Amino acid sequence: MKAPGKVAAQIGERLLPALTVVVFVLGWEFFVRARGIAPIYLPAPSAIAVQLYRMAVDGSLLHHLGLTLARIFAGFALAGVCGILVGLLMGMSRLVARVADAWIAALYPLPKISLIPLLIIWLGTGEAYKIVISAVTAFFPIVISTYAGIRQVDRGLLKTAIDLGAGRGQVQTKVVIPAAIPSILAGLQLGMGVTIILIVAAEMIGGSAQGGMGYLLISSGQVMETEKVFASLVVLAVAGAIIIKGQQWLDRKVAPWALQREDR
Amino acid sequence: MKVEVSKISKIWGSAGSGVAALDQVSHVFGSRRFSCILGPSGCGKSTLIQIIGGLEAASSGQVRIRDPARPDALRPLGADSVMVWQNLNLFPWRSVIDNIAFGLEMRGVPRAQRSERARGLIALVGLRGFEDHRPGQLSGGMRQRVALARALILERPILLMDEPFAALDAQTKIVMQEELMRIFEQTHKTVLFVTHAIEEAILLGDEVVVMTARPGCIKDTIPIDLPRPRSLELVASKEFGALFDRIFHLIRDEVMKTMQEQTIAAAGPA
Repeated sequence: MKAPGKVAAQIGERLLPALTVVVFVLGWEFFVRARGIAPIYLPAPSAIAVQLYRMAVDGSLLHHLGLTLARIFAGFALAGVCGILVGLLMGMSRLVARVADAWIAALYPLPKISLIPLLIIWLGTGEAYKIVISAVTAFFPIVISTYAGIRQVDRGLLKTAIDLGAGRGQVQTKVVIPAAIPSILAGLQLGMGVTIILIVAAEMIGGSAQGGMGYLLISSGQVMETEKVFASLVVLAVAGAIIIKGQQWLDRKVAPWALQREDR
Repeated sequence: MKVEVSKISKIWGSAGSGVAALDQVSHVFGSRRFSCILGPSGCGKSTLIQIIGGLEAASSGQVRIRDPARPDALRPLGADSVMVWQNLNLFPWRSVIDNIAFGLEMRGVPRAQRSERARGLIALVGLRGFEDHRPGQLSGGMRQRVALARALILERPILLMDEPFAALDAQTKIVMQEELMRIFEQTHKTVLFVTHAIEEAILLGDEVVVMTARPGCIKDTIPIDLPRPRSLELVASKEFGALFDRIFHLIRDEVMKTMQEQTIAAAGPA
Protein backbone atom coordinates (compact mmCIF):
# COMPACT_ATOMS: atom_id res chain seq x y z
CA MET A 1 0.00 0.00 0.00
CA LYS A 2 1.23 3.44 -0.87
CA ALA A 3 1.00 6.21 1.67
CA PRO A 4 -1.73 8.75 0.79
CA GLY A 5 0.86 11.52 0.81
CA LYS A 6 2.86 9.73 -1.85
CA VAL A 7 -0.19 9.26 -4.09
CA ALA A 8 -1.02 12.93 -3.75
CA ALA A 9 2.55 13.81 -4.71
CA GLN A 10 2.30 11.62 -7.81
CA ILE A 11 -0.97 13.23 -8.88
CA GLY A 12 0.60 16.62 -8.28
CA GLU A 13 3.54 15.72 -10.50
CA ARG A 14 1.15 14.73 -13.30
CA LEU A 15 -1.00 17.85 -12.96
CA LEU A 16 1.75 20.39 -12.46
CA PRO A 17 2.63 20.85 -16.17
CA ALA A 18 -1.03 21.48 -17.07
CA LEU A 19 -1.38 23.77 -14.09
CA THR A 20 1.53 25.96 -15.22
CA VAL A 21 -0.16 26.41 -18.61
CA VAL A 22 -3.46 27.40 -16.99
CA VAL A 23 -1.74 29.86 -14.66
CA PHE A 24 0.24 31.33 -17.56
CA VAL A 25 -2.85 31.83 -19.73
CA LEU A 26 -4.89 33.32 -16.88
CA GLY A 27 -1.99 35.63 -15.98
CA TRP A 28 -1.73 36.72 -19.60
CA GLU A 29 -5.46 37.45 -19.83
CA PHE A 30 -5.40 39.40 -16.61
CA PHE A 31 -2.29 41.36 -17.58
CA VAL A 32 -3.74 42.41 -20.97
CA ARG A 33 -7.08 43.48 -19.49
CA ALA A 34 -5.64 45.28 -16.47
CA ARG A 35 -3.12 47.23 -18.52
CA GLY A 36 -5.50 47.79 -21.45
CA ILE A 37 -2.90 46.66 -23.98
CA ALA A 38 -3.90 47.14 -27.62
CA PRO A 39 -4.76 43.80 -29.32
CA ILE A 40 -2.46 44.79 -32.17
CA TYR A 41 0.52 44.27 -29.84
CA LEU A 42 -0.70 41.52 -27.58
CA PRO A 43 -4.20 40.10 -27.90
CA ALA A 44 -5.79 38.45 -24.89
CA PRO A 45 -6.01 34.63 -24.93
CA SER A 46 -9.80 34.91 -25.07
CA ALA A 47 -9.55 37.03 -28.24
CA ILE A 48 -7.17 34.48 -29.77
CA ALA A 49 -9.60 31.70 -28.91
CA VAL A 50 -12.44 33.58 -30.58
CA GLN A 51 -10.28 34.12 -33.66
CA LEU A 52 -9.35 30.45 -33.70
CA TYR A 53 -13.03 29.52 -33.55
CA ARG A 54 -13.85 31.85 -36.44
CA MET A 55 -11.08 30.42 -38.58
CA ALA A 56 -12.24 26.92 -37.81
CA VAL A 57 -15.84 27.71 -38.72
CA ASP A 58 -15.14 29.55 -41.99
CA GLY A 59 -12.90 26.71 -43.16
CA SER A 60 -9.74 28.77 -43.66
CA LEU A 61 -7.94 26.98 -40.83
CA LEU A 62 -8.57 23.56 -42.32
CA HIS A 63 -7.55 24.80 -45.77
CA HIS A 64 -4.18 26.22 -44.70
CA LEU A 65 -3.38 23.49 -42.19
CA GLY A 66 -4.26 20.82 -44.74
CA LEU A 67 -1.92 22.36 -47.31
CA THR A 68 0.92 22.59 -44.80
CA LEU A 69 0.45 19.03 -43.55
CA ALA A 70 0.34 17.66 -47.10
CA ARG A 71 3.61 19.45 -47.91
CA ILE A 72 5.24 18.27 -44.68
CA PHE A 73 4.38 14.65 -45.40
CA ALA A 74 5.44 14.92 -49.05
CA GLY A 75 8.82 16.44 -48.13
CA PHE A 76 9.31 13.97 -45.30
CA ALA A 77 8.42 10.98 -47.47
CA LEU A 78 10.84 12.09 -50.20
CA ALA A 79 13.64 12.65 -47.68
CA GLY A 80 12.87 9.39 -45.88
CA VAL A 81 12.94 7.22 -48.99
CA CYS A 82 16.10 8.83 -50.42
CA GLY A 83 17.88 9.07 -47.06
CA ILE A 84 17.27 5.47 -46.06
CA LEU A 85 18.13 4.20 -49.54
CA VAL A 86 21.42 6.10 -49.77
CA GLY A 87 22.27 5.23 -46.14
CA LEU A 88 21.72 1.53 -46.79
CA LEU A 89 23.82 1.65 -49.96
CA MET A 90 26.60 3.41 -48.06
CA GLY A 91 26.44 0.76 -45.35
CA MET A 92 26.69 -2.07 -47.85
CA SER A 93 29.30 -0.74 -50.24
CA ARG A 94 32.54 0.83 -49.15
CA LEU A 95 32.90 2.58 -52.50
CA VAL A 96 29.48 4.25 -52.21
CA ALA A 97 30.31 5.23 -48.63
CA ARG A 98 33.60 6.85 -49.70
CA VAL A 99 31.96 8.90 -52.44
CA ALA A 100 28.83 9.86 -50.52
CA ASP A 101 30.84 10.75 -47.43
CA ALA A 102 32.73 13.48 -49.31
CA TRP A 103 29.47 15.00 -50.57
CA ILE A 104 27.82 14.84 -47.16
CA ALA A 105 30.82 16.43 -45.46
CA ALA A 106 30.66 19.33 -47.93
CA LEU A 107 26.88 19.84 -48.04
CA TYR A 108 25.71 18.97 -44.53
CA PRO A 109 27.08 22.08 -42.78
CA LEU A 110 25.63 24.38 -45.44
CA PRO A 111 22.55 26.19 -44.08
CA LYS A 112 19.84 24.82 -46.35
CA ILE A 113 17.85 28.07 -46.21
CA SER A 114 20.64 29.62 -48.25
CA LEU A 115 19.51 27.40 -51.14
CA ILE A 116 16.09 29.11 -51.28
CA PRO A 117 17.02 31.78 -53.87
CA LEU A 118 18.53 29.18 -56.17
CA LEU A 119 15.60 26.81 -55.81
CA ILE A 120 13.12 29.61 -56.55
CA ILE A 121 15.06 30.43 -59.73
CA TRP A 122 14.96 26.79 -60.79
CA LEU A 123 11.58 25.64 -59.55
CA GLY A 124 9.55 28.82 -59.05
CA THR A 125 7.61 29.35 -55.83
CA GLY A 126 5.18 26.47 -56.27
CA GLU A 127 4.89 23.13 -54.54
CA ALA A 128 8.10 21.66 -55.98
CA TYR A 129 10.29 24.29 -54.36
CA LYS A 130 8.73 23.85 -50.91
CA ILE A 131 8.95 20.08 -50.98
CA VAL A 132 12.49 20.04 -52.34
CA ILE A 133 13.89 22.50 -49.81
CA SER A 134 12.43 20.54 -46.88
CA ALA A 135 13.42 17.17 -48.32
CA VAL A 136 17.00 18.31 -48.95
CA THR A 137 17.26 19.47 -45.34
CA ALA A 138 15.72 16.35 -43.84
CA PHE A 139 17.74 14.05 -46.09
CA PHE A 140 20.99 14.65 -44.20
CA PRO A 141 20.05 13.59 -40.66
CA ILE A 142 18.25 10.55 -42.11
CA VAL A 143 21.14 9.40 -44.31
CA ILE A 144 23.70 9.97 -41.55
CA SER A 145 21.69 8.04 -38.93
CA THR A 146 20.97 5.18 -41.32
CA TYR A 147 24.63 4.82 -42.24
CA ALA A 148 25.73 5.06 -38.60
CA GLY A 149 23.15 2.43 -37.62
CA ILE A 150 24.49 0.00 -40.19
CA ARG A 151 28.12 0.64 -39.37
CA GLN A 152 27.55 0.17 -35.65
CA VAL A 153 25.92 -3.25 -35.95
CA ASP A 154 27.39 -5.53 -33.30
CA ARG A 155 30.10 -7.70 -34.92
CA GLY A 156 29.13 -10.50 -32.57
CA LEU A 157 25.65 -10.66 -34.12
CA LEU A 158 27.15 -10.91 -37.61
CA LYS A 159 29.47 -13.74 -36.59
CA THR A 160 26.56 -15.48 -34.88
CA ALA A 161 24.39 -15.27 -37.99
CA ILE A 162 27.19 -16.67 -40.16
CA ASP A 163 27.77 -19.47 -37.65
CA LEU A 164 24.05 -20.31 -37.78
CA GLY A 165 24.26 -20.66 -41.55
CA ALA A 166 23.25 -17.24 -42.90
CA GLY A 167 24.58 -16.35 -46.36
CA ARG A 168 25.84 -12.90 -47.33
CA GLY A 169 22.45 -11.61 -48.43
CA GLN A 170 20.72 -13.10 -45.40
CA VAL A 171 23.19 -11.41 -43.06
CA GLN A 172 22.21 -8.06 -44.61
CA THR A 173 18.44 -8.54 -44.63
CA LYS A 174 18.01 -10.58 -41.44
CA VAL A 175 20.63 -8.97 -39.18
CA VAL A 176 22.17 -5.73 -40.44
CA ILE A 177 18.96 -3.94 -41.43
CA PRO A 178 16.85 -4.96 -38.39
CA ALA A 179 19.76 -4.04 -36.11
CA ALA A 180 19.93 -0.58 -37.73
CA ILE A 181 16.19 0.14 -37.38
CA PRO A 182 16.39 2.02 -34.03
CA SER A 183 19.04 4.30 -35.49
CA ILE A 184 17.04 4.82 -38.69
CA LEU A 185 13.95 5.75 -36.66
CA ALA A 186 16.00 8.26 -34.66
CA GLY A 187 17.12 9.81 -37.96
CA LEU A 188 13.51 9.99 -39.17
CA GLN A 189 12.54 11.86 -35.99
CA LEU A 190 15.24 14.45 -36.56
CA GLY A 191 14.19 14.63 -40.22
CA MET A 192 10.54 15.27 -39.33
CA GLY A 193 11.54 18.13 -37.04
CA VAL A 194 13.47 19.97 -39.73
CA THR A 195 10.84 19.21 -42.40
CA ILE A 196 8.20 21.06 -40.35
CA ILE A 197 10.51 24.03 -39.88
CA LEU A 198 11.51 24.24 -43.54
CA ILE A 199 7.99 23.87 -44.95
CA VAL A 200 6.63 26.71 -42.81
CA ALA A 201 9.65 28.88 -43.65
CA ALA A 202 9.26 28.14 -47.37
CA GLU A 203 5.55 29.00 -47.22
CA MET A 204 6.47 32.40 -45.77
CA ILE A 205 8.71 33.18 -48.72
CA GLY A 206 6.53 31.55 -51.37
CA GLY A 207 3.83 33.24 -53.41
CA SER A 208 0.52 34.77 -52.34
CA ALA A 209 -2.04 32.39 -53.79
CA GLN A 210 -0.59 29.17 -52.46
CA GLY A 211 -1.73 29.19 -48.84
CA GLY A 212 -0.42 27.19 -45.93
CA MET A 213 0.22 28.06 -42.29
CA GLY A 214 3.44 29.91 -43.12
CA TYR A 215 1.58 32.05 -45.64
CA LEU A 216 -1.22 32.67 -43.13
CA LEU A 217 1.33 33.79 -40.53
CA ILE A 218 3.21 36.19 -42.76
CA SER A 219 0.12 37.65 -44.45
CA SER A 220 -1.65 38.20 -41.13
CA GLY A 221 1.48 39.78 -39.71
CA GLN A 222 1.79 42.18 -42.60
CA VAL A 223 -1.69 43.60 -42.00
CA MET A 224 -1.27 43.60 -38.21
CA GLU A 225 -3.91 40.95 -37.58
CA THR A 226 -2.12 39.89 -34.45
CA GLU A 227 -4.93 37.61 -33.23
CA LYS A 228 -4.59 35.62 -36.42
CA VAL A 229 -0.82 35.41 -35.98
CA PHE A 230 -1.23 34.01 -32.49
CA ALA A 231 -4.00 31.66 -33.57
CA SER A 232 -1.75 30.30 -36.33
CA LEU A 233 1.12 29.83 -33.88
CA VAL A 234 -1.13 27.88 -31.51
CA VAL A 235 -2.27 25.65 -34.36
CA LEU A 236 1.29 25.07 -35.54
CA ALA A 237 2.51 24.22 -32.03
CA VAL A 238 -0.32 21.75 -31.45
CA ALA A 239 0.02 20.15 -34.90
CA GLY A 240 3.79 19.82 -34.46
CA ALA A 241 3.40 18.24 -31.04
CA ILE A 242 0.84 15.75 -32.37
CA ILE A 243 3.11 14.79 -35.28
CA ILE A 244 6.20 14.30 -33.10
CA LYS A 245 4.35 12.40 -30.36
CA GLY A 246 2.57 10.29 -32.97
CA GLN A 247 5.89 9.43 -34.54
CA GLN A 248 7.34 8.44 -31.17
CA TRP A 249 4.31 6.23 -30.55
CA LEU A 250 4.71 4.63 -33.98
CA ASP A 251 8.43 4.02 -33.35
CA ARG A 252 7.66 2.16 -30.15
CA LYS A 253 5.21 -0.02 -32.10
CA VAL A 254 7.70 -0.69 -34.90
CA ALA A 255 10.78 -1.30 -32.73
CA PRO A 256 9.71 -2.11 -29.17
CA TRP A 257 13.09 -3.68 -28.45
CA ALA A 258 14.97 -0.43 -29.11
CA LEU A 259 14.35 1.04 -25.65
CA GLN A 260 14.83 -2.04 -23.47
CA ARG A 261 18.21 -3.23 -24.67
CA GLU A 262 19.75 -6.45 -23.43
CA ASP A 263 22.13 -5.64 -20.62
CA ARG A 264 24.54 -8.26 -21.81
CA MET B 1 33.04 -36.31 -34.54
CA LYS B 2 36.65 -36.05 -33.51
CA VAL B 3 38.17 -32.57 -33.74
CA GLU B 4 41.85 -32.53 -34.58
CA VAL B 5 43.65 -29.28 -33.97
CA SER B 6 47.18 -29.16 -35.29
CA LYS B 7 49.78 -26.44 -34.71
CA ILE B 8 47.34 -23.56 -34.52
CA SER B 9 49.01 -20.19 -34.03
CA LYS B 10 47.34 -16.80 -33.97
CA ILE B 11 49.06 -13.44 -34.14
CA TRP B 12 46.94 -10.32 -33.73
CA GLY B 13 48.11 -7.38 -35.82
CA SER B 14 50.88 -7.60 -38.42
CA ALA B 15 53.33 -10.49 -38.41
CA GLY B 16 56.42 -8.56 -37.27
CA SER B 17 54.98 -6.35 -34.55
CA GLY B 18 51.85 -8.32 -33.66
CA VAL B 19 50.87 -9.92 -30.37
CA ALA B 20 50.99 -13.70 -30.29
CA ALA B 21 47.73 -15.03 -28.86
CA LEU B 22 48.16 -18.73 -29.56
CA ASP B 23 51.38 -20.65 -30.10
CA GLN B 24 51.36 -24.04 -31.84
CA VAL B 25 48.27 -25.49 -30.17
CA SER B 26 47.74 -29.16 -31.01
CA HIS B 27 45.11 -31.43 -29.48
CA VAL B 28 42.65 -34.13 -30.44
CA PHE B 29 39.20 -33.62 -28.92
CA GLY B 30 37.51 -37.01 -28.65
CA SER B 31 34.26 -37.83 -30.39
CA ARG B 32 31.14 -37.47 -28.20
CA ARG B 33 33.29 -36.29 -25.34
CA PHE B 34 32.88 -33.23 -23.20
CA SER B 35 36.22 -31.37 -23.25
CA CYS B 36 36.78 -28.33 -21.09
CA ILE B 37 39.41 -25.78 -22.09
CA LEU B 38 40.63 -24.05 -18.95
CA GLY B 39 43.01 -21.14 -18.76
CA PRO B 40 43.71 -17.75 -17.17
CA SER B 41 41.98 -14.75 -18.70
CA GLY B 42 43.66 -13.48 -21.82
CA CYS B 43 45.27 -16.84 -22.64
CA GLY B 44 43.57 -17.04 -26.04
CA LYS B 45 41.01 -19.73 -25.20
CA SER B 46 38.15 -17.76 -26.75
CA THR B 47 40.27 -17.18 -29.85
CA LEU B 48 41.04 -20.90 -30.03
CA ILE B 49 37.40 -21.96 -29.90
CA GLN B 50 36.46 -19.37 -32.53
CA ILE B 51 39.20 -20.67 -34.81
CA ILE B 52 37.91 -24.21 -34.28
CA GLY B 53 34.41 -23.00 -35.20
CA GLY B 54 35.72 -21.32 -38.35
CA LEU B 55 34.71 -17.88 -37.07
CA GLU B 56 38.23 -16.51 -36.84
CA ALA B 57 41.13 -17.25 -39.14
CA ALA B 58 44.26 -18.87 -37.73
CA SER B 59 47.64 -17.39 -38.65
CA SER B 60 48.90 -20.92 -39.23
CA GLY B 61 47.90 -24.50 -38.51
CA GLN B 62 44.67 -26.31 -39.25
CA VAL B 63 41.50 -27.74 -37.77
CA ARG B 64 40.06 -30.95 -39.18
CA ILE B 65 37.35 -33.33 -38.14
CA ARG B 66 37.19 -37.07 -38.40
CA ASP B 67 33.91 -38.91 -38.64
CA PRO B 68 34.16 -42.05 -36.46
CA ALA B 69 32.08 -43.93 -39.04
CA ARG B 70 34.75 -43.25 -41.69
CA PRO B 71 37.98 -43.00 -39.69
CA ASP B 72 40.23 -42.52 -42.71
CA ALA B 73 38.36 -39.46 -44.04
CA LEU B 74 39.81 -36.32 -42.57
CA ARG B 75 38.17 -33.09 -43.70
CA PRO B 76 38.23 -29.41 -42.81
CA LEU B 77 35.55 -28.24 -40.41
CA GLY B 78 32.52 -26.90 -42.26
CA ALA B 79 29.01 -26.61 -40.92
CA ASP B 80 29.64 -29.33 -38.33
CA SER B 81 29.85 -27.08 -35.30
CA VAL B 82 27.76 -24.39 -33.69
CA MET B 83 28.78 -21.85 -31.05
CA VAL B 84 27.14 -20.71 -27.84
CA TRP B 85 28.68 -17.31 -27.14
CA GLN B 86 29.86 -15.78 -23.90
CA ASN B 87 27.68 -12.71 -24.45
CA LEU B 88 24.93 -14.85 -26.02
CA ASN B 89 24.47 -12.63 -29.11
CA LEU B 90 20.70 -13.11 -29.19
CA PHE B 91 18.88 -11.06 -31.83
CA PRO B 92 17.08 -8.48 -29.67
CA TRP B 93 14.32 -7.81 -32.23
CA ARG B 94 13.33 -11.47 -32.53
CA SER B 95 11.03 -13.33 -30.19
CA VAL B 96 12.30 -16.38 -28.31
CA ILE B 97 10.84 -18.76 -30.87
CA ASP B 98 12.21 -16.77 -33.83
CA ASN B 99 15.66 -16.59 -32.24
CA ILE B 100 15.67 -20.35 -31.77
CA ALA B 101 14.41 -20.99 -35.31
CA PHE B 102 16.94 -18.59 -36.90
CA GLY B 103 19.26 -21.30 -38.23
CA LEU B 104 16.36 -23.25 -39.78
CA GLU B 105 15.01 -20.07 -41.35
CA MET B 106 18.41 -19.45 -42.98
CA ARG B 107 18.29 -22.97 -44.33
CA GLY B 108 14.90 -22.30 -45.93
CA VAL B 109 12.82 -24.60 -43.71
CA PRO B 110 9.11 -23.62 -44.04
CA ARG B 111 7.62 -21.68 -41.15
CA ALA B 112 5.24 -24.34 -39.85
CA GLN B 113 7.98 -26.93 -39.75
CA ARG B 114 10.55 -24.74 -38.04
CA SER B 115 8.01 -23.54 -35.45
CA GLU B 116 7.26 -27.13 -34.59
CA ARG B 117 10.95 -27.97 -34.11
CA ALA B 118 11.57 -24.77 -32.18
CA ARG B 119 8.72 -25.73 -29.83
CA GLY B 120 10.44 -29.04 -29.19
CA LEU B 121 13.63 -27.24 -28.20
CA ILE B 122 11.68 -24.76 -26.07
CA ALA B 123 10.31 -27.71 -24.12
CA LEU B 124 13.78 -29.26 -23.80
CA VAL B 125 15.31 -26.14 -22.25
CA GLY B 126 12.23 -25.32 -20.15
CA LEU B 127 11.03 -22.09 -21.78
CA ARG B 128 7.36 -23.02 -22.38
CA GLY B 129 5.11 -20.00 -22.15
CA PHE B 130 7.86 -17.57 -23.19
CA GLU B 131 7.75 -18.24 -26.95
CA ASP B 132 6.72 -14.70 -27.88
CA HIS B 133 8.87 -12.80 -25.40
CA ARG B 134 11.84 -10.84 -26.67
CA PRO B 135 15.31 -11.40 -25.16
CA GLY B 136 15.13 -8.03 -23.39
CA GLN B 137 12.15 -9.27 -21.42
CA LEU B 138 13.92 -12.38 -20.07
CA SER B 139 16.23 -13.02 -17.12
CA GLY B 140 19.89 -13.92 -17.66
CA GLY B 141 19.30 -17.64 -17.13
CA MET B 142 16.39 -17.71 -19.56
CA ARG B 143 18.41 -15.90 -22.24
CA GLN B 144 21.11 -18.50 -21.73
CA ARG B 145 18.53 -21.22 -22.45
CA VAL B 146 17.46 -19.44 -25.64
CA ALA B 147 21.08 -19.32 -26.82
CA LEU B 148 21.54 -23.00 -26.06
CA ALA B 149 18.31 -23.99 -27.84
CA ARG B 150 19.21 -21.86 -30.87
CA ALA B 151 22.46 -23.83 -31.19
CA LEU B 152 20.95 -27.27 -30.48
CA ILE B 153 18.14 -26.93 -33.06
CA LEU B 154 20.65 -27.26 -35.90
CA GLU B 155 21.60 -30.76 -34.67
CA ARG B 156 25.23 -30.24 -35.56
CA PRO B 157 27.50 -32.88 -34.06
CA ILE B 158 29.94 -30.45 -32.43
CA LEU B 159 28.83 -27.93 -29.81
CA LEU B 160 31.26 -25.10 -28.99
CA MET B 161 30.65 -23.14 -25.79
CA ASP B 162 32.65 -20.03 -24.91
CA GLU B 163 32.27 -19.34 -21.16
CA PRO B 164 28.49 -19.48 -21.58
CA PHE B 165 27.71 -19.26 -17.86
CA ALA B 166 30.26 -16.62 -16.87
CA ALA B 167 27.67 -13.84 -16.66
CA LEU B 168 25.14 -15.77 -14.58
CA ASP B 169 24.63 -15.46 -10.84
CA ALA B 170 25.83 -18.41 -8.74
CA GLN B 171 22.44 -20.12 -8.30
CA THR B 172 21.39 -19.81 -11.93
CA LYS B 173 24.80 -21.10 -12.97
CA ILE B 174 24.34 -24.29 -10.92
CA VAL B 175 20.92 -24.92 -12.49
CA MET B 176 22.26 -24.33 -15.99
CA GLN B 177 25.25 -26.62 -15.42
CA GLU B 178 22.90 -29.41 -14.33
CA GLU B 179 20.67 -28.82 -17.37
CA LEU B 180 23.66 -28.89 -19.68
CA MET B 181 24.81 -32.20 -18.16
CA ARG B 182 21.31 -33.64 -18.67
CA ILE B 183 21.21 -32.43 -22.29
CA PHE B 184 24.74 -33.74 -22.96
CA GLU B 185 23.85 -37.14 -21.56
CA GLN B 186 20.76 -37.22 -23.82
CA THR B 187 22.29 -35.95 -27.06
CA HIS B 188 25.92 -37.08 -26.81
CA LYS B 189 27.46 -34.39 -28.89
CA THR B 190 31.13 -33.57 -29.04
CA VAL B 191 31.34 -30.56 -26.71
CA LEU B 192 34.20 -28.08 -26.40
CA PHE B 193 33.58 -25.88 -23.40
CA VAL B 194 35.78 -22.88 -22.58
CA THR B 195 35.84 -21.78 -18.95
CA HIS B 196 38.07 -20.18 -16.34
CA ALA B 197 36.31 -21.91 -13.41
CA ILE B 198 38.08 -25.09 -12.21
CA GLU B 199 35.00 -26.59 -10.47
CA GLU B 200 32.93 -26.09 -13.58
CA ALA B 201 35.55 -27.78 -15.75
CA ILE B 202 35.77 -30.85 -13.48
CA LEU B 203 32.02 -31.09 -12.94
CA LEU B 204 31.18 -31.00 -16.64
CA GLY B 205 34.18 -32.40 -18.45
CA ASP B 206 35.45 -35.80 -19.54
CA GLU B 207 38.80 -34.09 -19.80
CA VAL B 208 40.25 -30.73 -18.84
CA VAL B 209 42.71 -29.12 -21.23
CA VAL B 210 44.79 -26.62 -19.25
CA MET B 211 46.25 -23.71 -21.20
CA THR B 212 49.24 -21.53 -20.35
CA ALA B 213 49.32 -17.74 -20.08
CA ARG B 214 49.70 -15.78 -23.33
CA PRO B 215 50.81 -16.84 -25.88
CA GLY B 216 48.48 -19.72 -25.10
CA CYS B 217 49.51 -23.27 -25.65
CA ILE B 218 48.43 -26.50 -24.00
CA LYS B 219 50.12 -27.11 -20.68
CA ASP B 220 48.53 -30.43 -19.73
CA THR B 221 45.45 -32.55 -20.29
CA ILE B 222 43.75 -34.09 -17.26
CA PRO B 223 41.24 -36.90 -17.82
CA ILE B 224 38.21 -36.72 -15.53
CA ASP B 225 37.03 -40.25 -14.82
CA LEU B 226 34.20 -39.39 -12.47
CA PRO B 227 31.06 -41.46 -13.11
CA ARG B 228 28.04 -40.00 -14.94
CA PRO B 229 25.35 -38.90 -14.42
CA ARG B 230 27.04 -36.35 -12.23
CA SER B 231 25.48 -33.96 -9.78
CA LEU B 232 26.69 -31.11 -7.66
CA GLU B 233 27.25 -33.36 -4.60
CA LEU B 234 30.34 -34.56 -6.39
CA VAL B 235 32.10 -31.35 -5.40
CA ALA B 236 32.35 -32.61 -1.81
CA SER B 237 33.99 -35.94 -2.77
CA LYS B 238 37.65 -36.85 -2.23
CA GLU B 239 38.27 -37.55 -5.92
CA PHE B 240 36.94 -34.14 -6.86
CA GLY B 241 39.20 -32.48 -4.29
CA ALA B 242 42.27 -34.31 -5.62
CA LEU B 243 41.50 -33.28 -9.20
CA PHE B 244 40.87 -29.71 -8.09
CA ASP B 245 44.26 -29.54 -6.32
CA ARG B 246 46.06 -30.94 -9.31
CA ILE B 247 44.51 -28.53 -11.78
CA PHE B 248 44.78 -25.63 -9.38
CA HIS B 249 48.54 -26.11 -9.12
CA LEU B 250 48.84 -26.28 -12.89
CA ILE B 251 46.93 -23.09 -13.42
CA ARG B 252 48.22 -21.08 -10.47
CA ASP B 253 51.61 -20.47 -12.07
CA GLU B 254 49.90 -19.29 -15.24
CA VAL B 255 47.63 -16.89 -13.37
CA MET B 256 50.67 -15.51 -11.54
CA LYS B 257 52.46 -15.03 -14.85
CA THR B 258 49.48 -13.17 -16.28
CA MET B 259 49.27 -10.96 -13.21
CA GLN B 260 52.99 -10.17 -13.30
CA GLU B 261 52.73 -9.26 -16.95
CA GLN B 262 49.82 -6.95 -16.22
CA THR B 263 51.71 -5.32 -13.34
CA ILE B 264 54.73 -4.73 -15.56
CA ALA B 265 52.52 -3.36 -18.32
CA ALA B 266 50.78 -1.03 -15.86
CA ALA B 267 54.06 0.22 -14.36
CA GLY B 268 55.82 0.51 -17.71
CA PRO B 269 56.33 3.68 -19.74
CA ALA B 270 53.08 5.45 -20.46
